[in-house]
Amino acid sequence: MVETASQANTIEMTQPHLVERLEDAITALDEAPDFSKATKVRRLYDTAKRIIQSEGGCELLERYIERIERAGLFKNTDYAQPQILVPSLSVHALKSPDADTVLIEALSDLRLLAVASGAYRHEAISAEQAHHHLTHILAVNLQMLFSVPSEAERETQGKLAKISRNLLQYLAQRIGYEYIIEQLIDEIWRILQQRPIQVDQIKQMVTQIAICQQNPDIDLGQSGHGADRLISSLYGATQASREDPGVAVYLSRLETMDAPTLQYEATGFARAMHDTGLVSPYHAVLLRFVSDNSDHLLSEALGLSSTGRDCLLSFIDLVRALIDKAVHPESAQAIYGLSLLLERCILYQPAVAPSLWRQLSLTLSAEASQRLSLLFGDQPTPEARLLGGVLCVLGLPLGVGQGNNPTCQSARAISMWAYSDPDYLLQLVVSAARDNEVIMHFEGQSISSRDSVAGIAKELPMDLDPVSLILVPHLDRIYAEMGRRCADREGDPHRWVNPEFHGWWCGRGFAINVDVATGKLHQLQDFLRKFYASYHPFYNGNQPLIHPQPAGVAITDSAMRFIGWHAITILRVALDQENVMRVYFYNPNNDSGQNWGDDILVSTAGNSERSGEASLPFEQFASRLYIFHFDPLEPGMMGSVPPEELEAVSERIIKSWGANRV
Amino acid sequence: MSETKNRTKNPDKGYVAFLGWSLNAVEAAEKFDRRYVVVAPDWAEEYCETHNIPYIKWNFERLNDRSMEIAQTLKEKGVDVAIPLFEETVEWAGAINSVLLDNPKLFGQSLLLRDKALMKRRAQLGGIRVGIFEEAHDKEDVIRFLKRVNQTLLKLDGDPNDPIHLKAFDKAGCLGHRVIRTPDEVDMIPDEEFPVLMESHLDGWEFAVEAWVHDGKIQFLNISEYVTLGYSVFVPASPELEKYRPQIKAQIEKLIKTFDIDFGFIHPEYFVTSDGEMYFGEVAYRPPGFKVFELLEQAYGFNAYQGLILSFDPKTSQEEIDDFFPEEVVDAKGHAGCFGVYPRRRVVSKLEIPDETEGHAYFNYHELTAPLEETVTKRTAFGTHWGLVYFFGSDAETMRDLLKHQESLDFYV
Repeated sequence: MVETASQANTIEMTQPHLVERLEDAITALDEAPDFSKATKVRRLYDTAKRIIQSEGGCELLERYIERIERAGLFKNTDYAQPQILVPSLSVHALKSPDADTVLIEALSDLRLLAVASGAYRHEAISAEQAHHHLTHILAVNLQMLFSVPSEAERETQGKLAKISRNLLQYLAQRIGYEYIIEQLIDEIWRILQQRPIQVDQIKQMVTQIAICQQNPDIDLGQSGHGADRLISSLYGATQASREDPGVAVYLSRLETMDAPTLQYEATGFARAMHDTGLVSPYHAVLLRFVSDNSDHLLSEALGLSSTGRDCLLSFIDLVRALIDKAVHPESAQAIYGLSLLLERCILYQPAVAPSLWRQLSLTLSAEASQRLSLLFGDQPTPEARLLGGVLCVLGLPLGVGQGNNPTCQSARAISMWAYSDPDYLLQLVVSAARDNEVIMHFEGQSISSRDSVAGIAKELPMDLDPVSLILVPHLDRIYAEMGRRCADREGDPHRWVNPEFHGWWCGRGFAINVDVATGKLHQLQDFLRKFYASYHPFYNGNQPLIHPQPAGVAITDSAMRFIGWHAITILRVALDQENVMRVYFYNPNNDSGQNWGDDILVSTAGNSERSGEASLPFEQFASRLYIFHFDPLEPGMMGSVPPEELEAVSERIIKSWGANRV
Repeated sequence: MSETKNRTKNPDKGYVAFLGWSLNAVEAAEKFDRRYVVVAPDWAEEYCETHNIPYIKWNFERLNDRSMEIAQTLKEKGVDVAIPLFEETVEWAGAINSVLLDNPKLFGQSLLLRDKALMKRRAQLGGIRVGIFEEAHDKEDVIRFLKRVNQTLLKLDGDPNDPIHLKAFDKAGCLGHRVIRTPDEVDMIPDEEFPVLMESHLDGWEFAVEAWVHDGKIQFLNISEYVTLGYSVFVPASPELEKYRPQIKAQIEKLIKTFDIDFGFIHPEYFVTSDGEMYFGEVAYRPPGFKVFELLEQAYGFNAYQGLILSFDPKTSQEEIDDFFPEEVVDAKGHAGCFGVYPRRRVVSKLEIPDETEGHAYFNYHELTAPLEETVTKRTAFGTHWGLVYFFGSDAETMRDLLKHQESLDFYV
């Protein structure tokens, strides 16, 4: 307290004019009638901007923030309701090149700090909630907190980055580093449980924690122990790699090891990999080393069960060839893909193994090579990257994510094919990577990705796994073209596009509860009854879902406001361990754990989900559903669906995304 | 919440009509005790309805037969006086007030105040010093005037010409203002700008005055010091200029008498030459552009628009006025200045406030927005700036140097 008080003196003594400006700006905003508040905000922003850049500025603003909020700074913005703010969005706000965006986020965070410290009693958010929110903000911005400014940051933000950095430093100081690390570790584990294919971001965060632990200036208190497993799985999973010796040294150690020691190393890596979903670069060195020598050690290093081992031994030459080409320290994640691919036994499907042999000798088109090396570098070769990506997609079909792109349909399709039609996916990868063209058929007419120019995504998506990187631009264009061919038809184009695009198993029956022309809700009860009778085992004759089915959901935010339409896949419907009927589905967003408001929290673990699945109780899921496919010849038992249940779902719809669609 | 902050309206005081839309004026009225109504074109309708702002729809075109209609409407509503907010509504205010206040001379007076050539003649008749001026109907007239003026100044062939100034008859401030030095520059004037008023250049110190008048008396007189015309201004003026205050006040009193102004607000411009002689430039009967009102509020703390309402309202008492206005210069907390930014480069991509500007202790805030187009249109006349930067500080000299220095900085890069 003594220290903060002396800081306060500093700014008020050294730059009294700034404090005076701030007072004036707050008064002007406060006194302005509602209609002209916007014209007074400028003054406050410009003054706050200078204060926050000065020594002790955050502290000063924290003290003034209650008056600033009461004067109306946050009015008519999302920040007016702190309870609905999403911490992860603060990353974009604090990295924005627009000064006002950075400032309003900074001021809102300082407000939460004032609330958390008890100095400001807020009507919409409690001190505990504010504290929790801030730890989240710090966790997601950890990179900026600990890393030196990147070139990209300098380029887009310039001087503004200093504001964000000052703010985060101040928040971390006030909240305490131990809280952030704890939070961050939980967050990493939560995401890893979903077993995403892309783990670069997570690896970066783990690295940050490791650096943080080494830094004597940062007091982590008792926290950070949960990080040990994460850090060691990347940088020291085994006895011989414990002190992160570098791959060359590690290889020389392997060369002098006896068999039991090698076995010990192999199981060590396998355990770490299956525990976390992260693969250490040293693991790749080991796997390449044992691959030629011992089938047994190979199986151990992949951590295979008896099922996987059978598959390995049946296709040992193929697996060796795959390891030789795809597994390198830079692309170690491919090991995890390979291991799970073997466990899935898809190599026993007649077309898969030959398809992989084709993939091994595939020559890429110049365009495909260029895209891959642009994103992943030249080491290993683009062909090896793509092959590693193929192994991951086939091993973790639900780990496909769309990155930061509006291409959820394409990501969903890749995941669906990897899940239930792997050789078809391999065919598409070859067309896209070698020929730079994908051809699909729509009601008998062929559509080439070369002829269709415009897709849904305006720019080429870049933050994707290798397979998506190659396929998404083509799929996106074809999907958009199919939509265009339905433009003159009445009703929603997904009715025709989805079955043609995804595969024969997609139900030809189609239900939608929104009238396309008016945007209003349409035959809601029929829609819901049909959904229950087709998918709910109690009302469909206890028939488990056979093939994954595309569906559309209306995504809402934590305040139940409609955000947008989103493509997902329904994977299965089953009772969880507490006998709650749940829908398990695939969401192509990178993190499926989302809060959709009205206590609808999409769960990703702990309710019998398999890795990568999201789940909701049936009723909650139905309340966000707007499109599904079904088999018209299997109508289920529509009459037996209880009307109260449908009524309850309708209510949830009408108070959320259906609010102005009645 | 802010609704409760609004002052309750005093039914014993006047009811004013603003002619034209100005958010600052409306805000001031909203917070003041006078009843008011906004008379503005239809594009303001939705905004006024949304925010419960009293509003009458009227499109101010040229005065015509229907002009009586709006005067009648306002009269029926019980409005006491109309206040012009823009140059284009000055003659409307004259016409309307001649009905509301039953004083036909007000209309004639407003026409005088709308035409720069008429205004100068009237000033001359009243014994006020003006420079040489003439109307031009085409480019020929301009070249002739340029030559004649320089002949008068006994310039020889090859000597650099003294410039002349061209101004539109009826536009506010710097709009359409050009400086011409050579006959070549005359070719750059588009034909549609004619007719114009031409004036000789006066080497001197240009400044503007804002005077609130009630009962034929000056109630508050501010001197705005221009650092560079069209770029920067600050209030109150520096001590060097303020030392002319008694002479300036005498000039304004002369002006009020000559133009027979009984109430309202005037905004004249003058030159003071090195020997202390005052030359009248022009006078406007409406609030100045360039946000001088904003600067006054920063410097003195009173709302200049509320002052406007007071000085127009016939029901205002002298006591109220004395309470409202502070004492000139001595009551100012400091000097408030602003700088109009024009992009200096031909191609710009973003707004970047220079560090030295933002870091200066006098910097207050800015109203600049990111560029909408990358190519900057070449400036021919004194055009519209891209936004203002505000400064505040205690020393006039620092302020003047600071404002001057801004001209050499890039805000758009």
